[in-house]
Amino acid sequence: MSMKQQYGAQKDSYHTQIMIKSTIIMIVCIILTLICLVPIFILLVNATHSHTELAENPSQLWFGSALKENLNILLNKLPDDAGKAVTRVARQYSSVFSVGRGYFNSLIIAGCTTVLTVFFSAMTSYGLTVYDFKVKGPAYTFIIAVMMIPVQVSSAGFVRFMYSLGLINNFIPLIIPAIAAPAVIFFMKSYMKSSFPLEIVEAARIDGCGEFRTFVTIALPMMKPAMAVQAIFAFVANWNNYYTQNMILKNDKMMTVPIMVSKVLQFDKNVNYGVNYLCIMLSILPIVVVYFILSKFIIAGVALGGVKE
Amino acid sequence: MASAAQSRIKSISYAKYGYMFIAPFFLVYCFFQIWPLIYTFILSFKGNQSGNADFVGLDNYTTILFGQGMAAGADNTRQEFLQALGNTFVLWFGNFIPQILLSLLLAVWFTDAKVKLPGKGFFKIVMYMPNIITAASVAALYVNLFGDSEYYFVNSLIANMGGDAIKFVSDPTISKGMVMFIQTWLWFGNTMIMLMSGIMGISPSLFEAADIDGANSTQQFFTITLPLLQPIMVYTLVTSMIGGLQMFDLPYLYHSGANFSRNLETVAVYIYYNFNKGTVEQANYGYAGAASIIIFAITAVLGSITFYMNRDKDEIAKKQQRKRAEKQQKARMKQGGGLTI
Amino acid sequence: MSKLKRTLALLATFAVASTAFVACGKKEESNNSSADNNAANNSVADDNNAGNDANSDADSDVDSDVESDVDSDSEDGGDDTPATGGDISLPDTDDVLTIVCWTDSDLSNMFDIYTPVQASEVKYQNCGGNGTEASTQYANYLNSGDDVDLFVAEAGWILNYINDDTMSAPLSDLGISTADYADAYQYTVEIGTDNNGVLKGASWQAAAGGWVYNADIAKEYLGVESEEDMQAKVSSWDNFKATAEELKAATDGAVTMTCTLPGLWQAYSTALNASWVDGTTINTSIAKDFTEMAKEYADNGYVDPSIEQWKTEWENWGKDGKTLGYFFSTWCLGEGAQLDTCCGTEGNWRIIQGPQEYFWGGSWLCVSPNCNTATEAANFIRTFTCNADTMEEYALYSGDFANNKVAMNKIIADGSNSNSSLGGQDQFAILADVAAGIKMSDSISKYDQNLKDTFLTILKDNINEDTDTIVEKFKAQALADNTDLS
Repeated sequence: MSMKQQYGAQKDSYHTQIMIKSTIIMIVCIILTLICLVPIFILLVNATHSHTELAENPSQLWFGSALKENLNILLNKLPDDAGKAVTRVARQYSSVFSVGRGYFNSLIIAGCTTVLTVFFSAMTSYGLTVYDFKVKGPAYTFIIAVMMIPVQVSSAGFVRFMYSLGLINNFIPLIIPAIAAPAVIFFMKSYMKSSFPLEIVEAARIDGCGEFRTFVTIALPMMKPAMAVQAIFAFVANWNNYYTQNMILKNDKMMTVPIMVSKVLQFDKNVNYGVNYLCIMLSILPIVVVYFILSKFIIAGVALGGVKE
Repeated sequence: MASAAQSRIKSISYAKYGYMFIAPFFLVYCFFQIWPLIYTFILSFKGNQSGNADFVGLDNYTTILFGQGMAAGADNTRQEFLQALGNTFVLWFGNFIPQILLSLLLAVWFTDAKVKLPGKGFFKIVMYMPNIITAASVAALYVNLFGDSEYYFVNSLIANMGGDAIKFVSDPTISKGMVMFIQTWLWFGNTMIMLMSGIMGISPSLFEAADIDGANSTQQFFTITLPLLQPIMVYTLVTSMIGGLQMFDLPYLYHSGANFSRNLETVAVYIYYNFNKGTVEQANYGYAGAASIIIFAITAVLGSITFYMNRDKDEIAKKQQRKRAEKQQKARMKQGGGLTI
Repeated sequence: MSKLKRTLALLATFAVASTAFVACGKKEESNNSSADNNAANNSVADDNNAGNDANSDADSDVDSDVESDVDSDSEDGGDDTPATGGDISLPDTDDVLTIVCWTDSDLSNMFDIYTPVQASEVKYQNCGGNGTEASTQYANYLNSGDDVDLFVAEAGWILNYINDDTMSAPLSDLGISTADYADAYQYTVEIGTDNNGVLKGASWQAAAGGWVYNADIAKEYLGVESEEDMQAKVSSWDNFKATAEELKAATDGAVTMTCTLPGLWQAYSTALNASWVDGTTINTSIAKDFTEMAKEYADNGYVDPSIEQWKTEWENWGKDGKTLGYFFSTWCLGEGAQLDTCCGTEGNWRIIQGPQEYFWGGSWLCVSPNCNTATEAANFIRTFTCNADTMEEYALYSGDFANNKVAMNKIIADGSNSNSSLGGQDQFAILADVAAGIKMSDSISKYDQNLKDTFLTILKDNINEDTDTIVEKFKAQALADNTDLS
């Protein structure tokens, strides 16, 4: 009897311990969640306040009613009787931050680079896995070796070179280099190594299937999971790329979302807080929405990347 | 029939297809990466500003590393570069340490089967979210929230509570702290998920055995989780370090004046600023090139170290054994040869 | 080991291969560009056949004319050649006039009142979020091959662009010569002229500055009733400081004399009348002079050194009654410009000359060598920089001090301008003498923007250090940035 009591007490204390631990973890997690979400929430809130409201009380904590007003300024759709000051602000912002054009350009660049990166990386890793040829080993070593070289290292030469080729203000220097993505090849190669049976290639050859067709019709579908993961990361990375895009693109017809945001940030005169916040909000909106739709998949992808390396 | 076809296929050489499949990568890489790198290398031996066409040998390197060069401001250039290098490491270190500690703690908690945590999936999603937001937008957001005076969100809250405005953007120390915080904010979710997948890759039987032996969770963490997480930790360390070396968007855009903040000048910012100063006569291509090549060297060293640390130890041992055996054999043959002559 | 060798060999091979590629690319490019040139030349020739009878000989004649004009100008200060349209040698192949600028706040007034004569559209092309940023972005934009006809450059960095023939073309290519600027404020012509005496930039404004103060505050704390009294109280820098002290005592430090250091700098640096650079040597004496003054003003609370010029806190100080006045240049005084955003349209603000006649910035229109809307570009430049009638209209519409003595004198004489934000004052009348007295050309260099930005940032961040440390820090940074200087 006494033993049972003692055992029970121990079990209780064990349970309380876990309860306490779980509560602490819960609290920490909630705090971290707040730290992650509050800046975004404030961003949304402030985007709905006018400049005057924000200048009078910058610490707005709940939504205001000026979203439409800010949007009209940003889109330069002001009523005819709007004052010259606000017209000036509207012209300034709309000339730099043209939402539709920014989305379109970013989408083109991120879309094309994603397709190129994923396709050519799959192709290269396929070539390195399936075929036996003299430089195969050195080629792979080379790819691993250059995987870590930062972009900044060659950027001075890159810009000078593109300048001499007349490729400033051109999407080509931003899109074509995506064909060569060493890190993606590394990932895909290890994926193929573990989950692509070479016998399939031989079987296809026996059926008289051409090499390139084998790759497109048989290998690519089998690599879908790896490609999907890499496609998402490639898309996000290129959508968010500021450094290279900012060096190459100077024409306002070609501005992408990150450059537009940085230009808004650079305004030294006629700054309008509400519109500032609206610009930032619009710049992150598409990617955040897509993220929440695909979040489970993306997180599984990150985890996969972690295991593979 | 099949075997005949098979042998026919075997006899065909497919090597050329191998070259064809990898050719696009190498052509594009050489054109857009290797040649610009060589170009940068060449630039690093050329002069700056009005002397941009002259070859100056190692002058740029001696200037930015040792402060001895032709320009009157050689030593100032060295100081600026070294400060940028220092800032890079300080900013990287200051975000990596909290980031890895926080991520490790969360990863252990999230993978602990004994802890009942509702909404785990939600927490993971929210904590990863900052990572996908455009860094330029993040910088803009924080500059607008944390501006120096009470006309910005945070300082207005502080002012309402009766405090003095804190210079989150222009103060040299506080602004560094802010960039560290933002970097941690951006990356801890990513690191956490990677570490979690690492922990989940550890065989559960190890933990069960430890449970039976009466090891508490702290002991389990230090004796099982941490040692087995080493490869993935090293990987995180290296990727983060290389990411740290190219840290640009945040330090460059986190400022309030017309120019970037010198207090946050990293090497990447230094390079960008020097080659992007306007006309060829205004830019310092030489310094930018030399700084790039130095960063390249640092990356190469760091990369080799990791490569060395992460190499497959068993395979290397085998290789060494094979080599030793070969050597012995050679030596024996030599001896034998010597005898016959 | 052999693996490494093989990798290296491979690397070398590809390097060679890629170099070959590059050579191809370059050759192709140069071929293309020469083809373009031919095309351009042909089209010019066509135009010439159609209308003008200019040929390459005529071009060089125009150039030498311009040079001699400049010479005679600097001697006599004027020229009696009538301002007629010269020959246009740049092509007219495009129907969109593209003007590159950073924010269009300067240009928007022009766009409002300008009607294209030939082009279907006058387009604004953004290049950078502020002037400093634009100065770094222009170089790559202007030669990228994208359409550019005219570009706007600021006094602080214009010399980098007008002294580079790949970036800018002489105004004579549009048939505009120095003779067209007989009524302009002379310094704008001098700055727009490059090292070889070729006119390459034309300004639409004479960027004279004044001091705008809050009359209510002045009356309440200083007992000042009229603009004349206020001017007497700030007529020199000593008086300015004494008044600042008086204001501080009267308000218990709640109201500063003026808001920021950069504003003070603009006015004070004119008094120094010295260049940032003597030859290739940095002149630290102006930095030292101003640092001493700035520290004194900051220590005594006459300014707040932490306020960022132009930003919202700067604007709000005026609205919130925290500062007595601002240093405003002419381009701040238009409707909807800084005057309105800082002082509000209902405030009781007045403009006076202040302690110092000074100028602040100013922008020039320059022609790109790739200009292909020449007639329209020429007309645009003429409309805003040398036509008295249209410039009068522009000045009245924008509130900007137009770069034409005839137009401005007419406005002042007619009394046709009254600024409602300044209680109906005519700012042109106040600034006319200042504009006439601006001597800027000797004291500008191509390093100005860089050195000024560097100095003001270092001053703001280190205001609590002693003067020598600040000057040293500034010099160190300036030298690190500019290898040409010593």
